[in-house]
Amino acid sequence: MAGTGSRLIDRRSALKGGLAAGVAMPFIARSGFAQGAGTVRIWTFMSAEGQSPREKVFKTLIDEFEAKNKVKVVVEPQPFQELETKFVAAVAQKRAPDLVWLRDTFLSLVVDRKGLADLNEVLTPDFKRDALPDMFEVFTQKSVFDGKRVSLPIWPSPAQIIFYRKDTLREIGLDAPPLAWETFTDAAAKLTKGDRIGFGLPTSDNSVSAFINIMSGFGPEIFDKTTGRLNLTGPQAIETANVVRALVAKGAVSKTLLNAMGDDIQDQFAAGRFAMAQAFAPRFQQYQKIAAGYDPKELAVSAWPSFGGRPPAVLLGPYWTVGLAATSQNKEAAAAFLESLYTPAASMRWAKDAGLIPDRRSVMKDPWFEKPEAAVTRNFYELLSGKGAFVFPQRVPDITKIFSVLNTSLQEIIGTDEKVEVILARAKTTLNW
Amino acid sequence: MVSVPASGTTPFTRSIEDAARAGRRVGTTLVGPAVLVVIAVNILPAFFGFYSSLRKIFFFGDEGFAGLDNFRSLFADPLTWEAIGRSLIFTFGALALAVPLALLAALAVRELGARGRILLTILLVPWAMSPIVVALLWKWILLPSPGGLFASILATFGMPPANLLSNPTWAMPTVIAVAVWRTFAFAAIILTAGLGQIPKDLYKAAAVDGLTAMERFSRITVPLLAPSILIVLSMLTISYFNEVQVIIGLTSGGPIHSTTTLAYQLYLTGFVELDQGRGNAIAVVMFLINLVLIVGYVQLLGNKKGGEG
Repeated sequence: MAGTGSRLIDRRSALKGGLAAGVAMPFIARSGFAQGAGTVRIWTFMSAEGQSPREKVFKTLIDEFEAKNKVKVVVEPQPFQELETKFVAAVAQKRAPDLVWLRDTFLSLVVDRKGLADLNEVLTPDFKRDALPDMFEVFTQKSVFDGKRVSLPIWPSPAQIIFYRKDTLREIGLDAPPLAWETFTDAAAKLTKGDRIGFGLPTSDNSVSAFINIMSGFGPEIFDKTTGRLNLTGPQAIETANVVRALVAKGAVSKTLLNAMGDDIQDQFAAGRFAMAQAFAPRFQQYQKIAAGYDPKELAVSAWPSFGGRPPAVLLGPYWTVGLAATSQNKEAAAAFLESLYTPAASMRWAKDAGLIPDRRSVMKDPWFEKPEAAVTRNFYELLSGKGAFVFPQRVPDITKIFSVLNTSLQEIIGTDEKVEVILARAKTTLNW
Repeated sequence: MVSVPASGTTPFTRSIEDAARAGRRVGTTLVGPAVLVVIAVNILPAFFGFYSSLRKIFFFGDEGFAGLDNFRSLFADPLTWEAIGRSLIFTFGALALAVPLALLAALAVRELGARGRILLTILLVPWAMSPIVVALLWKWILLPSPGGLFASILATFGMPPANLLSNPTWAMPTVIAVAVWRTFAFAAIILTAGLGQIPKDLYKAAAVDGLTAMERFSRITVPLLAPSILIVLSMLTISYFNEVQVIIGLTSGGPIHSTTTLAYQLYLTGFVELDQGRGNAIAVVMFLINLVLIVGYVQLLGNKKGGEG
């Protein structure tokens, strides 16, 4: 009996011990990594040694986190187009980094491959209570799949937006581009002068579609709520194509740019070839620095014009989000580092030093944003907060294919006289929609 | 009693067999690592590629056996046939330009002696450059705006910028020209070596016989250089048929598919659209076309050698 009794005591002790350990584990883990537990590996397109403003801020935040937590943060830069594919392959081979930068348009694909952990399980209650509600809901909600928060959006941005030169607009008596397509095409045509072209549109890119951006002037209903598809043969797509044809016919868009990548358009815009151009919003500061042929102070941003009196369009995406690998062995430390990127201080730093829109909306109350140097950030912030702002649906079928298919259609619309209905029907067939 | 070996062999023949066996062992040992590397790097991936072409694989997710569906959908797509056509236009267009240029360069190198070697070194620079760098360099040169070098040259003659890469008619010839610019010097090296093998006495005898320079070229140089030309043709054919980096960098297959070759289609399908099953099906088709072309060249080369023998 004595033996049985001692076994019972042992069992009880073990159960109690186990229970206590279970309860204490999350705290032990957090306090454990704080004492210097392991390494957090990160895949991003940035380098910790890079010299761009964004990379410098990133490095500062890493240094601060390492000093405070005694955790080593290792950044392994990857080509931005390959981040998602490499990550999924790495997850399958159990050599994925702890944290990864992903484009929002790829989230569903990575989620389907079970690559991402549920952040709800690792984010601190403080972060959930204070930080999440302080971020742009339109972005944060897109990262929630079936109740699981698979990533956190970073640097909220309108992504593809219109950059314009105020000096050229002044030439035709305007302060900013008209925000309705009917008037925009005429204004863009008037801006074409000598070697300068009114409006630069990328027509050859695998992750950007000017056609979708123009179509976004019809609002979020361009994406079917059930399927996530665009109605490529519907009246909205046809009107979009007709707007492009009108831009070409009026000389606002040039057939000589039938094969231009986004980078080509932006570089040529910086060189003064366009009065307005579709450009990648987070590069605004960079393009202010490399502006040639015009005063960088004349550079400004605008939403996309809309159709039928709708609010000016801001299609938010593709934008960056940060996910935690499902296979991570260091989730607590990785989550802590992730949280450190979203503190009000970090948001302020991203905004002030790198010209990015703060993730935490509350920091916009900082007096710095009243200063002239923050005018563009304020402008971007207003665009994001506008009624015309929306994101790509969580699941857009054929998301890896749609951009190249629609860019071919755009080339055909610009470069041929074929009926737009035929061109769009062909795109639909190519996508098997 | 004299003992006779059961197998009819003598100590002498045994020692020959032992030596042969030892020789084979040495041979196997020497060639073994290379064979293993070829199996690991070429054969196994090729088998895996073929296996993958029979499966539905998207974004690294294997969704099961698809039989010949990838091939069926590929050949049902008119773009595939157009891409095959463009691949052949690209390949043979580039060959038609590269081989004569390489031959001219090789002849110039031979005639110029030491200065010729300097010329060859200069010509080799593009070949040493990464294809994507070459593409970006030419993209800048051909930029149809005041910043572009070619546009600036045209402007000095009062001509407007030429939109070569944005024009569906001119994009393919331009891409071919850039690919040839990058590679013809490599062909010139092989032809220079081939020219060096032709005995100079033949030319002297021909001159004594009163053959003109053109006749010496057609009756001596071309026939004796034929094996080298065939090697150049076969190597460049494979290289041009599989060329993709110059196309990615210059035109991304556009405008309006005008430079979408099968190799670019493979890149787009497998690496951009991430339809890896279909991408591998394209790779299998490319492999088979390459195989047909190589077999054709080998036949030609074999016949040529046979004829000479």
